[in-house]
Amino acid sequence: MPDNVYTVKIAGPAGAGIKSSGLLLSNILLKHGFNIRDYSEYPSLVRGGHNTYQVSFSAGEVFAPHFNIDIFFSLISGHWQAHQTEFSTNTLVFGDDAAIPLPLKELTDQVGSPVFGNTICVGVGAFLLNLDKNICSECITKTYGSDPTNISAFDLGYEYASKNYQQYVLKITLPSKNKDDYAIYDGNEGFGWGFIQAGGSFYTAYPMTPVSGALHFLAQKQSPTLTVVHPEDEIAAASMALGAAYAGARSAIGTSGGGFALMTESVSFAGAANLGVVFYLGSRPGPATGLPTWTSQGDLLFAVNAGHGEFNKIVLAPGDQQESFDLSVTALNLAAQFNLPVILLTDKFICESSASLPDLSAKSVEMIKSSIPVPGAPGQEFLANSYEHDSQGFSTEDPTQINQNVLSRREQLKSILVSVPKPTFYFGSQTATTLVVTWGSVKSTVAEALRIMDDPNFANLHFSTLWPLAPQTANLFKPFKNIIVVENNATGQFTQLLKSQFDFNPTRTILKFDGRPFFPEEIIKELSIIDQS
Amino acid sequence: MSIRSSIIPTWCPGCGDFVIYSALEQAITGLNIPLENLVIVYDIGCIGNMADFFKTYGIHSLHGRCIPTAVGVKLANPKLTVIALGGDGGVYGEGLNHLLSAARLNIKITVLVANNHLYSLTTGQASPTTPKGAKTKSTPLGDPNIALNPVAILQSVNPEVFAKHVDCKNPPEVITAIKDAIAHPGFSLVDLEQLCVTFGKQLTG
Repeated sequence: MPDNVYTVKIAGPAGAGIKSSGLLLSNILLKHGFNIRDYSEYPSLVRGGHNTYQVSFSAGEVFAPHFNIDIFFSLISGHWQAHQTEFSTNTLVFGDDAAIPLPLKELTDQVGSPVFGNTICVGVGAFLLNLDKNICSECITKTYGSDPTNISAFDLGYEYASKNYQQYVLKITLPSKNKDDYAIYDGNEGFGWGFIQAGGSFYTAYPMTPVSGALHFLAQKQSPTLTVVHPEDEIAAASMALGAAYAGARSAIGTSGGGFALMTESVSFAGAANLGVVFYLGSRPGPATGLPTWTSQGDLLFAVNAGHGEFNKIVLAPGDQQESFDLSVTALNLAAQFNLPVILLTDKFICESSASLPDLSAKSVEMIKSSIPVPGAPGQEFLANSYEHDSQGFSTEDPTQINQNVLSRREQLKSILVSVPKPTFYFGSQTATTLVVTWGSVKSTVAEALRIMDDPNFANLHFSTLWPLAPQTANLFKPFKNIIVVENNATGQFTQLLKSQFDFNPTRTILKFDGRPFFPEEIIKELSIIDQS
Repeated sequence: MSIRSSIIPTWCPGCGDFVIYSALEQAITGLNIPLENLVIVYDIGCIGNMADFFKTYGIHSLHGRCIPTAVGVKLANPKLTVIALGGDGGVYGEGLNHLLSAARLNIKITVLVANNHLYSLTTGQASPTTPKGAKTKSTPLGDPNIALNPVAILQSVNPEVFAKHVDCKNPPEVITAIKDAIAHPGFSLVDLEQLCVTFGKQLTG
């Protein structure tokens, strides 16, 4: 248990309420004033299989979920064995067939249904963590409604633990400050709130993991100023968003790699016709259908190169749930300012994992509007054209006009580079010897690793803008003896991208590509063998 | 007030697209649609080139995508009059799913299809409305597919939509059909029969 970060994990079959009880526990912890970072795993099926939810929490800082577990619940027999590498000698493993027997079958029979096993475990956890029962009851009612059975199940777990598990109670000091102005958001909700606060008015998506959550979230928020459409396919989703952008809407499209493959004609069209739209692209491992419910950073070069022809686009990548909100705002603003496609590249680890963040539901943000006229304005009629065109939009094949258009697109790149988010040193300083380069979701994990290591030899440079890259970026690498790039893919795609633009020779890359995210413990292990001399 | 641009149409002499061009202009001016509230979304193909010949709000979109692009315009601003204009290749081939979906939604847009039973801008290949057995550049042994019937399809998808087949040989009927389609409270389609004067001889033997 390094640095007072604790991790609880619940495992069982799909349909047993793993995620709902996990989120309930996270909300209870937040109400006590803890920071939380969670992570869940599930196969692509609706019943059966093996689902997990884990939450790492701390009265202080925690930036990413941990690998090592303090308390583990197996909802039915057979769900703890696969996790033994996550256990230490101190891990408390509960379940019908686990090291610490918890007779869930017998206890759920008392409540009346096996579906209450998850809430019984929350009761056991609340006792072990010395949590406030009133806060727990309040959160249970908020999550599950007024049916008293859930409270009974929680009480049963709590009572059973108080009689049998006194010796396992963790000596945790509760946070002194509450977090009433905080809430729990996953990456999709972070994106959704950013979209709403930045005046997003048109969202289309064909369902696809891991971004369906954004569709569900925004569909619930529909209003006269927010249209949400689930059309016949991804091609229609993108085409509709482009049409809506022409009509003046601040538009975004949600998809994952396979759906985005179908949308690339529209990426190119938006670039040609100067239609500002945001593609919210949540990666999962490919190729093809790949691993639908797992995570990957394997679509970076696909995003950067998406669309035929040579045109300007911007690719941004949030590194955590807060940045999902912030860059959602930035993406809509950049799309409006430059009237071009902006790809917001995220992944399952961010989209479907949650973090405790300051309230996003009433946060005001800066809004940049497009200067292009919209239908309804008399006398400003113009054509948005997928063909090469003149200043009024009419098609042209005149070589002078073509050269002028191509060169003006190249020229626009300079102002784009001024406006996009710059790479940021999140940890450490330029006096460190080793620079850890990150993009996307590895940011939170590397941040957590460096926070725990607290070693002045290490600094982290994080890229929120992946395309375009400013020429002066190369200078940022110069002061460091070692350059380490961490990527959740097999081919080091960001390394390839940096090499294609700069004289860039990293000391090594740390890669992972089994559908799982990095955990801080893995990063610490890899970084501790770097030669600092 | 003319809604024509200063660009002279580039269609082949005698092409039915000239009839559609004049008829659409007369329907728009006849219905007194405020010009600023009109958006025409063009598909790719000979008929789509009309994008350069009108001076209105418009989108020259991608092949097969005039309908979802038009649906996006209409959903974003329902006050606009939105017309999608394409050929039999774009609307009945590449974009057929979009046509069926727009009809299911019964959204108030008007789709005009210049149906000459061929891909003509690409010099004469078989389209979804090419008669079975017709020898074209892409089907030299005869097209093995039966032709689809767009009006019958739409009527089975949603009986509430307006779907009409008219022949460009009869310009007054074309004007009336386009006006009726635009005035219809829900989704409307006018299938405009044509013969390609340059590549259509393949179809008539």
